[in-house]
Amino acid sequence: MLRVDEAVEVSVNKEGQPIGFRWRDECYLVTNHPVRWFARRDWWQESERAYRGIGAAVLETEMWQLTATCDEGVLQFELIHNVLGNLWKLVRVYS
Amino acid sequence: MNRFTHLHVASAYSGHYGVTRPEHLAEAASAMGANALAITDRDGLYGAIRHIGACIQLGIDPIVGVDLAILDDSAQPIGRATVLAHGNNKGLGWKTICRLVSQANKHGKKQATGLTIQQLASLVQHGDAESGYVAGATVLLSPDSPFGRLALGANRQAAQQALADWASHFVAHGSLAVEITSLLTQPGTEWSTTQALRLLQLADNLKIPTVLTNAVRYLSPDDALTADVLDAARYLEPLGMFQPQPNAQAWMKPHQMMVELANEICRDYRRATKLLDTTAALAERCRLNPVADCGWGKPRTPEKSALGIDGNPFELLWQKAHDGVHWRYPNISQAKLQQVQHRLSQELMTIHKLEFATYFLTVADVAQMIRDMKIRTAARGSGAGSLVNYTLGISGVDPIENDLLFERFLSTERTSLPDIDIDVESARRHEIYRAIFKRYGSERVTLLSMQSTYRGRGAVRDSGLALGLEDERIDEIAKSVWRFSAGSFRAATSRKPELAKVAQELENDRTMNLLVDITERLDRLPRHISMHPCGVILSDATLLDRTPVEPSGIDLAMSQFDKDDMDPMGLLKLDVLGVRMQSSMAYAIREIERVSGKKLDLDSIPLDDAETFRSIRTTNTLGIFQIESPGQRELTGKHQPTVFNDLTIQISLFRPGPMKGNMIAPYLDGRHGFAKARYPHPDLEPILKETFGVVIFHEHVLRIFNKMTKCGLAKADEMRRSMENPRKKPQIEEFFRVKAAENGYEPSVIEEVWGTLEGFSSFGFCKAHGAAFAMPTYQSAWLKTHYPTEFVAGLFTHDPGMYPRRLLLAEARRLGVKILPLDVNKSTDEYLVEKTPQGELAVRLALTEIQNVSQTEIKRIIKNAPYKDLGDFYLRAEPSRRTLQNLGLLGALDGVAGVTGASATDLDSIQATRGDVMAKIRQLNAVTKRPKLNPEQPTLDFIDLTDSLPRGNPSPSTETNVLNELKLMKMDVSQHVIELYRDMLDEMGAVRADELVGLRNKTEVLIAGVRVATQTPPMRSGKRVVFVSLDDGSGCSDATFFDEAQQRCSHVLFNTRLLLIAGKTRRTGVRGVSVMAENAWDLKELHREWRKRQAGRETLAPGEANSEVQQLSA
Repeated sequence: MLRVDEAVEVSVNKEGQPIGFRWRDECYLVTNHPVRWFARRDWWQESERAYRGIGAAVLETEMWQLTATCDEGVLQFELIHNVLGNLWKLVRVYS
Repeated sequence: MNRFTHLHVASAYSGHYGVTRPEHLAEAASAMGANALAITDRDGLYGAIRHIGACIQLGIDPIVGVDLAILDDSAQPIGRATVLAHGNNKGLGWKTICRLVSQANKHGKKQATGLTIQQLASLVQHGDAESGYVAGATVLLSPDSPFGRLALGANRQAAQQALADWASHFVAHGSLAVEITSLLTQPGTEWSTTQALRLLQLADNLKIPTVLTNAVRYLSPDDALTADVLDAARYLEPLGMFQPQPNAQAWMKPHQMMVELANEICRDYRRATKLLDTTAALAERCRLNPVADCGWGKPRTPEKSALGIDGNPFELLWQKAHDGVHWRYPNISQAKLQQVQHRLSQELMTIHKLEFATYFLTVADVAQMIRDMKIRTAARGSGAGSLVNYTLGISGVDPIENDLLFERFLSTERTSLPDIDIDVESARRHEIYRAIFKRYGSERVTLLSMQSTYRGRGAVRDSGLALGLEDERIDEIAKSVWRFSAGSFRAATSRKPELAKVAQELENDRTMNLLVDITERLDRLPRHISMHPCGVILSDATLLDRTPVEPSGIDLAMSQFDKDDMDPMGLLKLDVLGVRMQSSMAYAIREIERVSGKKLDLDSIPLDDAETFRSIRTTNTLGIFQIESPGQRELTGKHQPTVFNDLTIQISLFRPGPMKGNMIAPYLDGRHGFAKARYPHPDLEPILKETFGVVIFHEHVLRIFNKMTKCGLAKADEMRRSMENPRKKPQIEEFFRVKAAENGYEPSVIEEVWGTLEGFSSFGFCKAHGAAFAMPTYQSAWLKTHYPTEFVAGLFTHDPGMYPRRLLLAEARRLGVKILPLDVNKSTDEYLVEKTPQGELAVRLALTEIQNVSQTEIKRIIKNAPYKDLGDFYLRAEPSRRTLQNLGLLGALDGVAGVTGASATDLDSIQATRGDVMAKIRQLNAVTKRPKLNPEQPTLDFIDLTDSLPRGNPSPSTETNVLNELKLMKMDVSQHVIELYRDMLDEMGAVRADELVGLRNKTEVLIAGVRVATQTPPMRSGKRVVFVSLDDGSGCSDATFFDEAQQRCSHVLFNTRLLLIAGKTRRTGVRGVSVMAENAWDLKELHREWRKRQAGRETLAPGEANSEVQQLSA
């Protein structure tokens, strides 16, 4: 397993599921039904504020597990989706 | 397709778990288009009644269940289940859930709340093997269960077996289902979609129905942060120290999202549809009919058999009420008798129409029982307006004499249940509860519970805990939170001077910002359930089918419903309220009889004793019921009451309403003849004469409505109540204007009266309540006037007031009541009245006052008394080292050791001193093992130990004694603590409290003393005013801090105990003077500085006294 922490550009379908992304100059195409889940964050250590209405993004992060291919072969990926700025980050790669 | 129904929803009444109030959940569900909603609070039906009420209002069907731990055979929780009551089965489901919850809570705090799977199965299924079983409720097995966890592993077979084992207990159709929930956690973990799918497959294999839920614990995702904080409060651990909730998904998701979730879990459209259909089918079965299932709004009184009645209850009530007339009005004239009987009949007819006869008989029965137990009682509230209550002995206030109205209490125009409150001696309250349970049977009686909610300080404390702040830090912040709701914490920091430090930290301290944010989130959430201080529910033998119960702190069953749930559920509640003043007065009467043999009936003393009123008018009201607060003391000075009705008026005036409504000044002006009483119309003069034209009482409003519209008093009370409702008010106004005009009142009169009534609507006070309160006020004043020593002993023993005991001591000194020091041969756990050798009465201090002495030690000391000498005490009372030392320091051993104090300074005297006692105690405490008391084998050590006192040790100074007393008893017995600062105060020219009344208005003064009260009453202007009362031994002085002074003194305003205040006198009435504060200082600090300067001037060595002052400040 490879831990990474890199922003990636992700294309999504109309349900919001990733269908492909670019990483280190390679194009990856999602080949399975990606699984979305939510991981929690320790807001009391990270967040500046916690007022009512600040939103659940302080507490949880949207995560995606998916399998994607490129010319090099098939790999499994874990991505973080920051809903607020619609930013994607690649965090783990499994072969 | 059916709209999705949430079947697993924890409300905020799931203590330290749920986040959203039931009403908000129901509103949201209704807004989402749902036509039913469940509430399934943890461990109980705490929010159920609010939920049902909200659902009725919104026109959706309520569903009620409970979320419980499943216990293994050794009562350890191994998982959770949700149990949902079935509806439309004539209450079978409701009864099932009530009984099940009671069973789960049976062991109180001694054991985890919950049930074994076998218990659950047997409680939800009714019937037997022969005739078959029927389910009263459905048990939903949660993913949080042994098979739920097994399902995540590789061994599916084991999971299947575990589920099959549990399922085997449920045979009745619809008694079991498996809960399918995905909180979208990481695949393969608990609460994930993977787990949900596997559970679905396991259940399908065993043909167990499945239902979809979202295990809701908050309304919206944002609330998850609040849930985190509640978890910390539940675990009593800071965030990060325990396994937190997995994410923020447990919110009340709308229909479409739940449908998508079903599809995501099942990965099969048809299976998903079936899952949603089963969920809808269960929801259908669980819809409750509030009236038919829960007994909504149907009052049930004890059966006749339980009251020991046969025959018609109303006839019996009629008889009893009339019999009471002769008891209450012994030498009554014929004319008066007619008046009494006429009114009695009218009241009785109303009671008959409302079918409340059994209720009144029950309450009368309870009142009689309390009197038979020789316990003091008094009624409070609107019930005192009823003549029936008076002749039945429920109330002690004569409604005719006091001009009170029955219609304010009960009328045919209103369907709500009557509310009768009985005040009793607080110390014997539990005795009464037990007697009520015994008399009516525990199947008909429960105590009432009370939900306390998060307010400022509690919210700060739990938030601080969650963030892992240090205890001292939390303490410091919590202490500065003064009388505002936690919800406006941030706003308050910029407004309130005492929060200046917090405000400053908010600028760059992240943790402080989080603290303020989450404190605001906790505001007003239910915090914990406890026993209501006075409520008892009385009903028939089906009570426990209608309310779940749990053990209370006193081992009597307590309903999980609170006082707001009573009326909707038709539960009859009797408030038996413990009042410390009643205990104090009962104690005083007991001591009068014990010491002087005089039997006193406090309930038949004359109510017009001039001496009593004279003593009240001095404004030295400390210890007198209801009128001892600084504000009431000031009002007493202005008002100068002379008759009983004045007390009723004064108690009623001192309320936020009349103060905001500016009703006090016009009343006082009229009373003192500064202004002529004005009546809008001569017809109103008889009604408002007693208050010089000012409308104060609800009874005034009723009479005015009745007089001007001829509507009758019952209707008038309905109108008064409706005035508070903005939607109904216009109708009332219309009615009033039209009817009053028909009755010939001028438009200008109508206009003026309506204006008054309108302004009054939210302010008024029920005169019956005021009169009921005025009774103990008068009685306590009477005792204080005629039996001050016994009265003070009662106050000390039962501590009824708002002030610290040391202030009581100052008042005793002022009254000339002699206080005797602690003495192990004479002191007990009560403040006994003693006759001194000189024949004077005096109060002996009680042993209970000493800090850190255990109950067992006190009991031992009392049991073994008297002691012949110090050694005897040491051996037989077996005090701990610390206790022996403390008793010595407080002089409690002077008596047994033969110290008289007469010539304490003369070292050559044969008299022993307390210094000698302390020397002896040091010897005794140096012995490693206390010798056993065995007269046959006296050891040498033993003889030495119990031998005479060492001599020649000097007595401690009075200052030392005072400091020890303050440290060990929180009372300055030998001398007032302010005397320690007298040298400086004299030099500064500080004024004593009792000198203030002689000063001219606007004299510049310095006052000093111990803070005894701090109050921030509501003001008409909305600006905050802080009242600080100080005691300096000569009496109490009151200082008022307005805005500017508050800014200047913020550092000492709320927390400093000994204060010096500079300001100007302000005359408020005949005997009323207060000080308008300009500045204030910490007296101790000031004195330290002053001493330093003195020392500099006189090069004084740092003496004993100086270090003591520092000790005091420590």
